[in-house]
Amino acid sequence: MQLAYTPQQQAFRAEVRTWLAGHVPADPLLTLECEEGYHQHVAWERQLASGNWGMVTWPEAYGGRGLDLIEWLIFEEEYWGAGAPLRVNQNGIFLLGPTIMEYGTPEQKERFLTPMAAGEKIWAQAWSEPGAGSDMAAIKTTAFRDGDHYVINGQKTWSSRASFADWGFGLFRTEEGSQRHKGLSFILFDLDTPGVTRRPIRQLHGHPGFAELFFDDVRVPVENRLAGEGEGWKVAMATAGFERGLMLRSPGRFQATARRLIELFRQHEREASPSAREAVARAWMDTQAYAYNTYAVAAKIMAGGSIGAEASLNKIFWSELDRAMHRTAMHLLGAAAELRQFADGRMNDWLEGYMFSLSGPIYAGSNEIQRNITAERLLDMPRVGAG
Amino acid sequence: MDMLIAPERLELAEAVRDFLSGTHGPEVLRRLDAGPNRDPAIWQGLVEMGLTGLLVPQDHGGLGMGLLDAALIARECGRVALAEPLVESAFVAVPWLVANGRTEDLAAIAAGGRKVAPAHQLNGWVADGEGAALDSIDPLRNLTALPATASNDPLLLDLGALMAAAQLVGLAEAMLDQAVEYSKIRTQFGQPVGGFQAIKHKLADVAVALEFARPVLWRAAQALDDAIESASLHVSHAKVAATDAAYLSAESAIQVHGAMGYTYEVDLHFWMKRGWALSGAWGSHAYHLRHIDAAIIGGTHPIGPENTFA
Repeated sequence: MQLAYTPQQQAFRAEVRTWLAGHVPADPLLTLECEEGYHQHVAWERQLASGNWGMVTWPEAYGGRGLDLIEWLIFEEEYWGAGAPLRVNQNGIFLLGPTIMEYGTPEQKERFLTPMAAGEKIWAQAWSEPGAGSDMAAIKTTAFRDGDHYVINGQKTWSSRASFADWGFGLFRTEEGSQRHKGLSFILFDLDTPGVTRRPIRQLHGHPGFAELFFDDVRVPVENRLAGEGEGWKVAMATAGFERGLMLRSPGRFQATARRLIELFRQHEREASPSAREAVARAWMDTQAYAYNTYAVAAKIMAGGSIGAEASLNKIFWSELDRAMHRTAMHLLGAAAELRQFADGRMNDWLEGYMFSLSGPIYAGSNEIQRNITAERLLDMPRVGAG
Repeated sequence: MDMLIAPERLELAEAVRDFLSGTHGPEVLRRLDAGPNRDPAIWQGLVEMGLTGLLVPQDHGGLGMGLLDAALIARECGRVALAEPLVESAFVAVPWLVANGRTEDLAAIAAGGRKVAPAHQLNGWVADGEGAALDSIDPLRNLTALPATASNDPLLLDLGALMAAAQLVGLAEAMLDQAVEYSKIRTQFGQPVGGFQAIKHKLADVAVALEFARPVLWRAAQALDDAIESASLHVSHAKVAATDAAYLSAESAIQVHGAMGYTYEVDLHFWMKRGWALSGAWGSHAYHLRHIDAAIIGGTHPIGPENTFA
């Protein structure tokens, strides 16, 4: 265990910091969940890519920098420390990208990864269906073979980014009459394909960023399938692992929130309760614990190891930490917590953040499912009863 | 930068785990509880494993290893609720004596002939000292009062708190294991109680608490070993995280055991009581929380994304 950064790592941090200082928008962007804000975020994504910062761990051949996970963590620390925008492209670069890296053909890698890192194609995920949320193996939407195409019929829902994004990925039933996790395939599709209808759904905050998708005889080329026909569940589990585990929620983001929370506390120290004081100290402790854990996992992966069901522990922890930090901020703000915009014109980011944090324990597999996975696969408790 | 614990360090801890689980099972705790609280044969076994000399420098007859190694082994001592004063003598007192240049007793400590009972003003009593006996809820704690000689050296407090935290993590892990095992054999309503989601989720929460307490502990041990300026803050963090995990694990485990858990007949109570004792020792929960508060909210420690390892 060596807790000091190497000179190369320090030089890399300085390089990232310098670039971000010169490029992060001075004024915060609008939320990426509305159309105008979405386009602002896409423009930012392309600017990142122009500096080759779109996805630093990817191979240079696909627009990355070929850096290791520790360098990625340093990049993320600087990114969030600089107050840079949320990544509108995160479904692509953090979830689908690594999945294509693992399961894609050389042609698929060529075709999808480069435009993804460049911010040219923004991806939506199409996991859930009205009857298949936490019970993802219950999906019904079909993609039956017709020559060199699949013909998709059915409906996906709660699809993040789908109101505005370019492409989607999801699981479809490719074997007639198949049940549960059998007979599913992982298919990528252009959201502008004839027969796809998007119906934006207003989220809790009132913005329309995610959508229902209706498929009416949508024809998708067979070469858009990732891995073999019927192997979709395995591929989707790998993607879900990325989502719960290392990639989606880097510690730098939570550490930035903790720092802002500490600053907020100092502004409200006179009227703050002892319990708020402790909650703020715990925000620091828990974000630190999360960072140490992530550094350890990154080192384990770099040494040739892998993470399995531990990703569930991770997901429970970051999602509940994020909610707790924002709840503490709401308490500190008191009456002002309800304002979407403060009297001085600043957006109430804590309110937006609190609403968003409520989705954390639900998406990427609800925390109840994660606790079942933890109990059954890590603690080896009996698989009886519900779940 | 490398947060991985080297495989050889883990192998040593693994060997200690095998040794302790083979020689210091629940039946030993019951035997010690029924008679004299200590067993020279067990102590001799620890000496022969080299554990009394783990932190003693090599030129004084020890192994000269670091605080991270000691923390890994203190966790194993917690896992078996070890009754002997190994951690306090060999892992708390020894590095403090070394740091203060008091090397005259080190060879005797490494050889197992001498035990040192370190006392700090924040808890003016010790396990296996020579003062008047005090009555602890932990039947194997063997407390004695030593208020007059208690030190107030911050390094001693850090060492004691770090090693208490390490034992608490081991205690919490062991209680989780006991609860999981019990949940598989106890049936109600025609199925093992471990099949019920209410039970699964309770124990999953303990697993989460432990998953995020362990790296805090390792980081604190390394920070203290490296003597970085903020080491004491990280020790306090480890103590708070380990204490929280131990209380959560104990309360969850007794609940999963149901009425059986409330009896002296089930082993769980030995671990639970050691957890209560160590949670309050070497700086209370409130003391360490206040310390963190002062550094973080008080502004003496740099915060934010780029200060992970500050």
